[in-house]
Amino acid sequence: MSLGILQTTGQQRGMILDPRTKLLLLITVSTFVLGGLGGEKFSSVIPALCLITLILLLTAGRIKAAVIYLAAYLAAWLAALLLLPQLSGPLYFLVLGSVGIFSRVMPGVAMGVYVVSTTTVSEFTAAMQRMHISEKIIIPFSVMFRFFPTVGEEFSAINAAMRMRGISFGGGRIGKMLEYRLVPLLTCSARIGEELSAAALTRGLGGNVKRTNICCIGFKMQDVIFIALCFTAFAAVALVYLGVL
Amino acid sequence: MFTNTTTTRKNSNRLAGKDLINVGIYSAIYFVIIMALAMTGYIPIMMPLLCVIGPLAGGIPFMLFLTKVKKFGMILIMSAIMGIMMALTGMGLYSLPVALVSGLVAELIWKRAKYSKASSSVLVCGFFNIWMWGNFIPLFINPDGYFSTRTEFGAGYEAALTALLPSWMSPVLLVSCFAFGILGGLLGRVLLKKHFIKAGIA
Repeated sequence: MSLGILQTTGQQRGMILDPRTKLLLLITVSTFVLGGLGGEKFSSVIPALCLITLILLLTAGRIKAAVIYLAAYLAAWLAALLLLPQLSGPLYFLVLGSVGIFSRVMPGVAMGVYVVSTTTVSEFTAAMQRMHISEKIIIPFSVMFRFFPTVGEEFSAINAAMRMRGISFGGGRIGKMLEYRLVPLLTCSARIGEELSAAALTRGLGGNVKRTNICCIGFKMQDVIFIALCFTAFAAVALVYLGVL
Repeated sequence: MFTNTTTTRKNSNRLAGKDLINVGIYSAIYFVIIMALAMTGYIPIMMPLLCVIGPLAGGIPFMLFLTKVKKFGMILIMSAIMGIMMALTGMGLYSLPVALVSGLVAELIWKRAKYSKASSSVLVCGFFNIWMWGNFIPLFINPDGYFSTRTEFGAGYEAALTALLPSWMSPVLLVSCFAFGILGGLLGRVLLKKHFIKAGIA
């Protein structure tokens, strides 16, 4: 299953980072690479962040995800280097646009895959509780991250069934296409949701007492290094903004 | 026995675990749909159209979500989650305050409707979808800054987008989010009647 890369198995070996560090890294990668914070001056930060993402995927033992990410990134880069000078007209803009989007979105997605696939829901909850975030935000968020792979899985199954019935793109039936996919997706999601809440209630979620958590989280040496890197990047942007650098 | 009933009554207006789980599930579905649509935004003409198709398609899961909302705060939390997710995915921080305001308005309308009126639910859907407009704010208040961060998309993309989104488009997009949110809500209601009530999940 191609969506297996999103499934959480936790992290048994390799470099284990605190969930809070992972979130900070995700924010850094998405604001610098995807959001393009700092503009031209910080374009040299982007390859470094892409490399960090790759290293993290490798250390987590996500070899397959790392290879796909590297191949896609290199393909986009080579297309920009070799293919673009040969093209002209609308095709040029199309390739330019896709290359731009690809090289911009890929690192954020790869970091997202790393964070989601190496953090269990309990670890995430423990980290959020340490940050004193309200349960009203923690529970929906952890359910959401737990639910993303399910939505993807159900959607690809429904998609396959609908393709078999000939309800797909190009059939000229956009309304039907939407209805025949969204309605089954929502129906089974609602059912899964009910089962999920029943399971969570047996684990004491939503009770009046404070829940305990056995996950060991905390900042170690590697966390300190990554947090320092992230803060350096943001501090540099702030300094440029203030006109110091 | 007596104390037991009073505590349940006291807590019936508080958000329970089940409500928060529902918020998470429907946020996930809504977010996946919106994100899948937003990926088309690199075709310049699709950028303003996102304020049309996003609320339209998002209305379907949102209307199903509204049938589960019986307490104050659920819509607001979903709005906040959307804002936070936009910040996490690098779309900028403007969506969060916009989402909090629009979510609060939607929440208050839904509370006034005692969490059940059909006509109000469509209006709630319209107000909720205004958060999407927040993603476009940087394009209007600081276009140079916005495009300087997207140079690799090429000059053609920038020119096409600037032509498509002059500053007067800002209120147009806001109204479009609201209007198509209402239409999405109506669409969602049609599907609710046609499928979900029959299937017993709404």
